[in-house]
Amino acid sequence: MIALLALQGIVAMICLAPGRRSERWAIPVATFGMFIGFIWILTQASAVTSGEITTENWNWVPQLGLTLDFRLDGWALLMGLLIFGIGTLVLGYSHFYFPKRPDLGKIAGLLAAFAGAMWGLVAANGLFTLFLFWELTSVISFLLIGLEDRSSAARKAATRAFLVTGGGGIAMLAGLILLSSASGTSEISEILANPPTNGVVPAALVLVLIGAFAKSAQFPLHFWLPGAMAAPTPISAYLHSATMVKAGLVVVARFAPVFAEVPPWRFMVLTAGSISLLLGGMRALRQHDAKLILAHGTVSQLGLLMILLGVGTAGTTYAGVALLTAHALFKASLFLNIGVVDHQVGTRDIRRLRGLLRKLPVIAAATVTAGASMAAIPPTFGFVAKEKGLDALLKLDMGFAGTITVAAVVVGSAFTVAYTVRLLMGVFGNRAPGTAGHPPVNPARVKIPSWGFKFAPVLLAFLSLLFGLIAGPVGDWLGKVASSLDPASNAYHLVLWPGLNSALALSVVTWVGGSAIAWWLYRHERDADAGVGFATTLYDRSYNGLLLGARKITAVTHSGSLPVYVGVALATLIACFVAALAAGDLRDLGTTRITNSPIELGAVAVTAVLTVGILRTQRRFSAALLLGGAGYGLAIVFLSYGAPDLAFTQFLVETLVIVLYLLVLARLPEKFSRPPSWAPGVVRGLFAAAVGIGLALFAVATSAVRSDYPVGDRLTSLAEPAGGGKNVVNVILVDFRGWDTLGEIAVLAVAAVGVINLAAVARREMLRRGLFASAPANNGTRFGIRQSSVDGDVGPAPQWRSVILTTTTRGLVPVLAVTSVYLTFRGHNAPGGGFAGGLVLSIAVALRYFAEGPGSVRKLGIDPIKLMGAGLLLAAIVAGYPLATGGAPMESTIWKFTLPLIGQVKLVSSSFFDIGVYLVVVGSVVGAIRALVDTDETAGEANLADDLATDEVGTTR
Amino acid sequence: MTSEAILPLMVLVPLLGAGASLVVARLRTMQTAVTFTVAAGTTILSIALLLKVDADGPIRAVTSIPEAPIGVTLDLYADRFASLMLVIAMLMLLAVLLYSAGQKAAGEMSIWYQPAYLVMVAGVSAAFVTADLFNLFVAVELLLLSSYVLIMLEGNDEQIRSGTTYVVLNVLESTLLLMAVALVFAATGTLSFFALPAAIAELPSGIQTGLNLLLLAAFGLKAAIFPLFSWLPDSYPAAPGPVTAVFAGLLTKIGVYALIRTQTLLFPDTNRTLLMWIAGLTMIIGVLGAIAQSDMKRILSFHIVSQIGYMVMGLALGGVAALTATIFFVLHQIPIKTSLFLVEGIVEAETGTSRLDRVGGMARRSGPLAFMFMLSAMSLAGIPPLSGFVGKVGIVTAGLDQQEWVLVAVALLVSLFTLVSMLKIWSGLFWGDVMPVDPRKGVLRHHRRMSAAAASVVALGVGIALAAGPLYSFTERAAEDLYLPAEISEAIVGDSK
Repeated sequence: MIALLALQGIVAMICLAPGRRSERWAIPVATFGMFIGFIWILTQASAVTSGEITTENWNWVPQLGLTLDFRLDGWALLMGLLIFGIGTLVLGYSHFYFPKRPDLGKIAGLLAAFAGAMWGLVAANGLFTLFLFWELTSVISFLLIGLEDRSSAARKAATRAFLVTGGGGIAMLAGLILLSSASGTSEISEILANPPTNGVVPAALVLVLIGAFAKSAQFPLHFWLPGAMAAPTPISAYLHSATMVKAGLVVVARFAPVFAEVPPWRFMVLTAGSISLLLGGMRALRQHDAKLILAHGTVSQLGLLMILLGVGTAGTTYAGVALLTAHALFKASLFLNIGVVDHQVGTRDIRRLRGLLRKLPVIAAATVTAGASMAAIPPTFGFVAKEKGLDALLKLDMGFAGTITVAAVVVGSAFTVAYTVRLLMGVFGNRAPGTAGHPPVNPARVKIPSWGFKFAPVLLAFLSLLFGLIAGPVGDWLGKVASSLDPASNAYHLVLWPGLNSALALSVVTWVGGSAIAWWLYRHERDADAGVGFATTLYDRSYNGLLLGARKITAVTHSGSLPVYVGVALATLIACFVAALAAGDLRDLGTTRITNSPIELGAVAVTAVLTVGILRTQRRFSAALLLGGAGYGLAIVFLSYGAPDLAFTQFLVETLVIVLYLLVLARLPEKFSRPPSWAPGVVRGLFAAAVGIGLALFAVATSAVRSDYPVGDRLTSLAEPAGGGKNVVNVILVDFRGWDTLGEIAVLAVAAVGVINLAAVARREMLRRGLFASAPANNGTRFGIRQSSVDGDVGPAPQWRSVILTTTTRGLVPVLAVTSVYLTFRGHNAPGGGFAGGLVLSIAVALRYFAEGPGSVRKLGIDPIKLMGAGLLLAAIVAGYPLATGGAPMESTIWKFTLPLIGQVKLVSSSFFDIGVYLVVVGSVVGAIRALVDTDETAGEANLADDLATDEVGTTR
Repeated sequence: MTSEAILPLMVLVPLLGAGASLVVARLRTMQTAVTFTVAAGTTILSIALLLKVDADGPIRAVTSIPEAPIGVTLDLYADRFASLMLVIAMLMLLAVLLYSAGQKAAGEMSIWYQPAYLVMVAGVSAAFVTADLFNLFVAVELLLLSSYVLIMLEGNDEQIRSGTTYVVLNVLESTLLLMAVALVFAATGTLSFFALPAAIAELPSGIQTGLNLLLLAAFGLKAAIFPLFSWLPDSYPAAPGPVTAVFAGLLTKIGVYALIRTQTLLFPDTNRTLLMWIAGLTMIIGVLGAIAQSDMKRILSFHIVSQIGYMVMGLALGGVAALTATIFFVLHQIPIKTSLFLVEGIVEAETGTSRLDRVGGMARRSGPLAFMFMLSAMSLAGIPPLSGFVGKVGIVTAGLDQQEWVLVAVALLVSLFTLVSMLKIWSGLFWGDVMPVDPRKGVLRHHRRMSAAAASVVALGVGIALAAGPLYSFTERAAEDLYLPAEISEAIVGDSK
């Protein structure tokens, strides 16, 4: 069985392989593949019908019960013969049907893949195996319906079919999972042998039935099927009448004998089946497209099959199996016949067709034969099977429900007779009187189809007749098949002439009634097209409603406004604090000491005032300064706790940041843009206060619960012996926690890369917009930085140049440079370190810029990017080199040796790490300053400011 | 060199590469050589790590200092979950690098792309090999900062505008995370994954709740869960194509990884109801957002959010079965999401846009491209036998076993909606008449390398489906590993008493 799947897969891949689209051989190859499949199954037939059952399986994800289980029993055998038999015929027919299309390879490949998927579905013995192939048939059907993808109707129909069957599939998946967990196995044969009686079983069955209804086009999920007729006729014949739409029946037939008694199975099956039977029949009566008559007829016929196979008694199951076989034969034949007509005449509108009886006599005969089987006229197989069905239904002991069902079947069958007559009259008879508005075809122009083209429909029609004539042996064979569903059905037989009984009487009623309806319709035939069914309308409305609803909901959940996003995030944060405080026992809040020293208290008070100032100010420049001030305040707090390293670094960072702000702010609007109207100052203030107070309370509570003694003491005692340094902060940074430092300098480097890149992009952009040309006219200055010198005259505008500053700087810069190196090297034992050192040197560079202008920065002679890269390399190497000797990263090596003149020298490997840090800091800051300065030279004011104005970001589309 | 050395090397190698690629920034050929060597090297390292970890169990690399309390020094750790994530992440990073090398001529590539990219590689690695909250913060910083650079690499107006949203929200995330880490340290005196479980268990419940929620919010913002997801669909579509692909595939998943880590390890069996609400809302709001869009890149961006919901759902359900499925789901999402964005990048390269109403007939223009999209899209929608199906079945089965009917129903409905939007893309972009190409934008070069890279990612997705059985066993072991540090923690606490 798996081999057969593989065969179809390989054929599909050969046909679908790119570059061979227009090959004419694709269809013959696929036909041959199908034929091999048919022969193989035929060779299994005698063994299977004599009771031998073969199984194959492949474990895929056994943990989830996802295994590929196959089991070849009678039911799979019958379906397999239909799939591959009709598949062979349809593909052979396609060879004649499709002219030289460029996508023959695609058609052949998809059909081969479809046959494989369908085979997997019918041979599946695992629940998930079933589902897998179930979904595959949906996907392939989607692609085939959409074959004429230039037509929007085909695209819509394909999507609709996929969504309905796929949605049903999802329901079914849930049902299958429930069923498998309720029964502890995912093997269908085992589940059927020991059916679970768990409380979830009814729910599981309902979900499975929903899937089956969707696939087998049962009310209310039937409406996708007529739309699927957008596919070329051979495909409709194969997928949407003979095989795929039977998938739901395949499952229902397997489950019904065991689960039919579990409510609401029978109720659902009978209701959906009866309504589909009647509704499909009625709608078929109103179509003018011959193919659509058949399509709606298929819905109707599937309803009848759903009733028979779903009721679950041995008699109905047997009749269902027979009728399903009959249906596959006559419906495929009818579709293919209509396909021939369409192909030869150019239309299949029954309002236009006339005079075809003479031009296409063989096709007419085949259509009539198959039609007779559909209308259940003796001596066709359709008659034999339907008689059996009526008989079985009459023998059901279901009271009122049984009566209703029989009534529905009789009325539905009358409709069937009626639309059959209408179809035959419409295609081969004379035009109905009321259809004058449509131009008739000219029979003289109709080409005679070749015998190869006619072969498949004629053979299928012939079989519909033949099986009726030899009903006895066929019936016995089908009995063996049906016994794999319900062992008791082996006792049933088919006969061509059952004698005069009540079933026959009902059949006569359907013939007479149906003919009367057909005659009445013929007299009252109208030009107008049938309207769209309400279920289709409902679907379309739901689909459009979904799109509209999604748009509306998304407009709310996704406003595109940055302030809203920030607001939501902060609100979440507030919720976290509230939840924590509400969860209680934030004990010891009261016993917390407020402060350690008056200095601290003063610094905090100043910082707080500055912070409020930041919130209040409208000017970017003041905000930057206030922010720097607040940072200094924090540095004082660090200092009051005896952390000179931190304080020093904090001072340096704040200073540099103000410098960088100045460079950027020169090009931004002076004031902040206005806040959004929904968030006036009060609201934003409250938000900020809630976050701040919440955080503060929580932080105090959190610190209070600490019972362990401070880590600091232990670290201090470890610094010298393990890290080789007296400065514990530095040892932590470059040794204990050097890993984090390494990461952070990479962060710094990449941030600088970002600044450099954006500055370069902005410069390029200004070039492109021609701002250079207008630059000289734009001689404004702000904060003393001249913004528009093009060449030569670099530096601050003359009126801002300060002689004092220039002179002082000249002396100061070398001193700062030396200091920075000193700071770096002494860092391990005393306050300082690579980070602080790097910042000092950077400040020196910034100073020179302010004194002498941008040229001084550009003329430095070193490439800050290389500096940055080298620093990162050095730090990473120092961090990683202990690995070479089997050590751990960041492990310090301490070398002690004596140098002449200097004396005892102690070198710790982490010092080199600190040099790396130093280089990265210098490279990053200088690189960033230089990039901003470079842009500065060419800056126009307003345009760039517009680009960079980032306060009000509207990204709604 | 010991096998433990792989852990630090996973981070050190890309950092060395970043440094080197800065030094040779102006020599493009050299820079590219360095970058590819490093990316390939880390990929090989990660595979070696995975094999080692699966054979011998989790690996720990500690810098030992006698008498130092646990967690003071470097403490790297990788279990099966981490090493699996590392391998898949490194493979994606390598594939996207190849793709971006094919996207532009050598002269067009920004010289900053590769250094920033390598720092991101280091960040991704660092996030997976750490066993320390502060390390994790630094790792997140590494990948965030490099992502800021990458998302605004071309610096056009659109990128600046949406990049700002990205930067502001992610800086907020960093701040939140740093706060949370600091408060955890304040309360417990340690940040080590090995010491924290026991230490946190002793905290009063209010503090526990607060720390728990803070970390949840911080990582949740990164993972783009409801209601903190909005920045993602606004910012990702504007980024350069390959950048979006790697962001989509990886970055949010690192948030998810951190969520899974912290929730299972530090706060086991808490937040279940909250997480379920988040999961359901993330799924449904995300997918509705996707349905509402009419641009392939934006549809896909909203799907990132929606699919995160499934992962949160698995986390909310908890227990080995659900976490196994979740890990598998994350594993599958990374290549699938990446490949979808890579396909989108090719569409955009060919036609200049990915708007559904401006492009058509892509299946006619390139059958293989359509095939690649179909495979990944169906996998995303959970159609068997593709990898998405396995993950979803796992999560849904766990949900049904725990009788979370509503959540399961939502998950299945979202699955259908996912199909809706995938079909929308298919029928809008791939079907229909071939539309004229915008001549100013639709320039195609080096298509082959882009396609090869995209195809290899799609193939990886298919490979995950084919090998789902063994992989699922692996993720099962990985899910069991999740609870290991807690055991180690108990051992430590036991020792010290």
